[in-house]
Amino acid sequence: MNVLSQAWGWLTTAANWHGSDGIPTRFLQHFEYSVEAVLIGALIAFPLGLLTGHVKRGGLLVTSLANVARALPTLGLVVLLVVVMGVKFRAVMIPLVALTVPPILLNTYEGVRNVDPQLTDAAKGMGLRPWQVLWRAEVPAALPLILTGFQFAAVNAVANTAIAAYSSFGGLGRFVIDGLATTDYGMVAGGAILIVIAAILNLVFFAVLRKLLVSPGLRQKKQTV
Amino acid sequence: MISFVQVGKTYPDGTVAVAATDLTAESGRITVLVGPSGSGKTTLLRMVNRMIDPTSGEILIDGVDVRSKSAPELRRGIGYVIQNAGLFPHRTVLANVMTVPRLLGWSRDKARERAMELLTTVGLEESHAKRYPFQLSGGQQQRVGVARALAADPPVLLMDEPFSAVDPVVRKDLQTELLRLQSELSKTILFVTHDIDEAIQLGDKVAVLNTGGVLEQFDTPTELLAHPKNAFVESFLGVDRGVRRLSFFSSSGVPLRPEPVVAFDAPAAEVLARRGSQPWLLVVDGEHKPLGWLPADQVPADGDLSRVPVGDLTSYGHTFDAETDSLRAALDSAILSPSSRAVGVGDGGRVIGVASVEELVPAIRAAQDGSTPAAIRGDSPDAEPIGGSGIGDTVSEISDAVPDTGTGENPETV
Amino acid sequence: MRSAGLFPHIPSYLGTYGSLIQQQLTMALLSVLFGLILAMPVALLCVRFPKIYAPVVGLLTVIYSLPSIALFVLLVPSTGLTQTTVIIPLSFYSLAALVPNIVEGVRGIPEDVRLAAVAMGYTGARRLIAVDLPLAVPPIMAGLRVATVGNVSMVSVGTVIGVGAFGALFTAAAQLSRSDLAITGIVVIVALALACDLLLVVTQRLLTPWNKRRSA
Repeated sequence: MNVLSQAWGWLTTAANWHGSDGIPTRFLQHFEYSVEAVLIGALIAFPLGLLTGHVKRGGLLVTSLANVARALPTLGLVVLLVVVMGVKFRAVMIPLVALTVPPILLNTYEGVRNVDPQLTDAAKGMGLRPWQVLWRAEVPAALPLILTGFQFAAVNAVANTAIAAYSSFGGLGRFVIDGLATTDYGMVAGGAILIVIAAILNLVFFAVLRKLLVSPGLRQKKQTV
Repeated sequence: MISFVQVGKTYPDGTVAVAATDLTAESGRITVLVGPSGSGKTTLLRMVNRMIDPTSGEILIDGVDVRSKSAPELRRGIGYVIQNAGLFPHRTVLANVMTVPRLLGWSRDKARERAMELLTTVGLEESHAKRYPFQLSGGQQQRVGVARALAADPPVLLMDEPFSAVDPVVRKDLQTELLRLQSELSKTILFVTHDIDEAIQLGDKVAVLNTGGVLEQFDTPTELLAHPKNAFVESFLGVDRGVRRLSFFSSSGVPLRPEPVVAFDAPAAEVLARRGSQPWLLVVDGEHKPLGWLPADQVPADGDLSRVPVGDLTSYGHTFDAETDSLRAALDSAILSPSSRAVGVGDGGRVIGVASVEELVPAIRAAQDGSTPAAIRGDSPDAEPIGGSGIGDTVSEISDAVPDTGTGENPETV
Repeated sequence: MRSAGLFPHIPSYLGTYGSLIQQQLTMALLSVLFGLILAMPVALLCVRFPKIYAPVVGLLTVIYSLPSIALFVLLVPSTGLTQTTVIIPLSFYSLAALVPNIVEGVRGIPEDVRLAAVAMGYTGARRLIAVDLPLAVPPIMAGLRVATVGNVSMVSVGTVIGVGAFGALFTAAAQLSRSDLAITGIVVIVALALACDLLLVVTQRLLTPWNKRRSA
């Protein structure tokens, strides 16, 4: 097919694999922006999710926030901030973080809130201190859902980093935007394929993480839900 | 010893969960708190390990105020078992049991050794150790819950409706198991239940609580059954408390007559002689185990019992063990038998003799008169008391012997 | 040309507010509709054959993770610079959001209700329509809300291939360095999304009058 052969042609052109706008550089940029967006989002959302989930309060706030965030057009935010602030790292990172916070917050909140109250009661009753109850009982039991939240956040980050390229920003989206501008369709399709690969690598990473972190005692539960 | 001194709990909205309560749970004994929902029984229990703080009064364990230690430290020295066990789903059975010893700073090896030992103690197998809670049945999970509570060998055990989420058959097992464990370990156990039967079976002493956290009566089970202090306690005990109280009395005082008992191969002369004096004959086999009843008028004229097919004999219902069973089991055996006679057996199920309902009456009377019950606990057969239907003329005899509990009369005057 | 109002004059080549809103909603809601039409049989197959559920969810997760911008540009050679190019990926996102909710919804029906329905003689399709689906409405509506809100917002990414409805304001904002256009675009899109959400909440209340409890 024409598209694929064009994309293949572009992907296999040696020149595209070198330099500051080469594929490896753009790939690493994409990776870096996504990871930073998730980490900054986690820094904000994870403690907040633990807190709201632990005290079982603020559910309406958390769910409304997630809803509003879902409604926010990333592209609009990126454009707005770049117009206002200029092409700066912060101008793009703010919208990205705005989209990594809600899934982490929502899933951490739901996960911790829904931990069997008998479990926390028993943990307290055995003499675990409040922090130990959180880290040894609530977080491990809620881990499957928490990881899902992080996964969604990372999915958002990868997708929106691609969109952020619209405002002269790096990452794999650059190829799509530049290709469209110069009507180099091989570059557009090649870039899109790289973005898809990045998204799938992200999922693979989380599948491995789940295997490593989630206790087998909880895995069964997930299947029967 | 756990002492509640004028302990009360009033919530900010004015709801009284526990009215000023004095109660002492003695060391090495099982003290049961029983009552309907809203009677504050769980609140009382949870005050001991400071899961809830009282608004008045104080709680002492062996004379020391529970507030003298930090809550986590206090709790590590008190076993705690709850309804659905509350096991850590992400940890193996072994790791669950090791929790408190590890919190107390035991080495991993020592904690593991102790945990393995406890799994055996509560009736689990070594192969269960590596499993996760979801791989266990409800009853097994509860056993792990008990093992986990016992792990650091705490002198005090709090059990909050531990067996109410499992099915009746498993519950029975767990109750029997708890009594066996307690006979070995002698913990100070505070046990909450809404089930009066469980309370009476397990408790050395039972505290009956009423809505609003009012302690209505605190007595031994047999005292409770014999002398309920007021209408609430009486209705909470149910209409068959008289019969149930018989569980606490040994059947050893029941006169067992050997005369009606004949072997299937007994000499004809003997059979015919017995037929003359007894309305019912109990036919036994070569090992002296019961085969069934034969009315005197159906004994063959030649006295040869071996000609009577076993299927033609009337069923004897169930027997009772004259050494270990309770009066309740003896009475039940008599009621269930069409001959109105209970069959008492000894070692190996050999028949010792039989007693009619009438002959049980003096023993029952003696029990009702408040003589000290023999130590019979938890090993009576699971015989439900029989109501008035379908037993014919025996009913009037029994209702003579057993106080009518439905009317609120003082049972002593019956 | 700058105006301080919330609804500034927009360059005439973009169209009018009315036409942009219409395009935005058409693409977003058609995608949800197509997603729902696809999701029903897929979900019911998963209920019928539980073994395929885990792989199906895995596949849907992968689809959901594929960035819209990549899918749009990869579809252009086949479907051109048209609304169809935007609607196809968004339909699949809706599918991904809906299938698990429908499956959990139907599976979550209390066993006693299901047994009662069977005992009364309901069979196959009639039971599905009369009992199973109505009781599964709350989770299905939850899925519809997620899909709708997400789609209304994501349509704007279509502007990279020239069919972004309100997204066109973002393109214009970038080209003309006009923050007011970007703000207006964001506000209108968020408002549209939340209005659709509200409409779905009201619909759910009307559909399930037996559910007195407020659904989250």
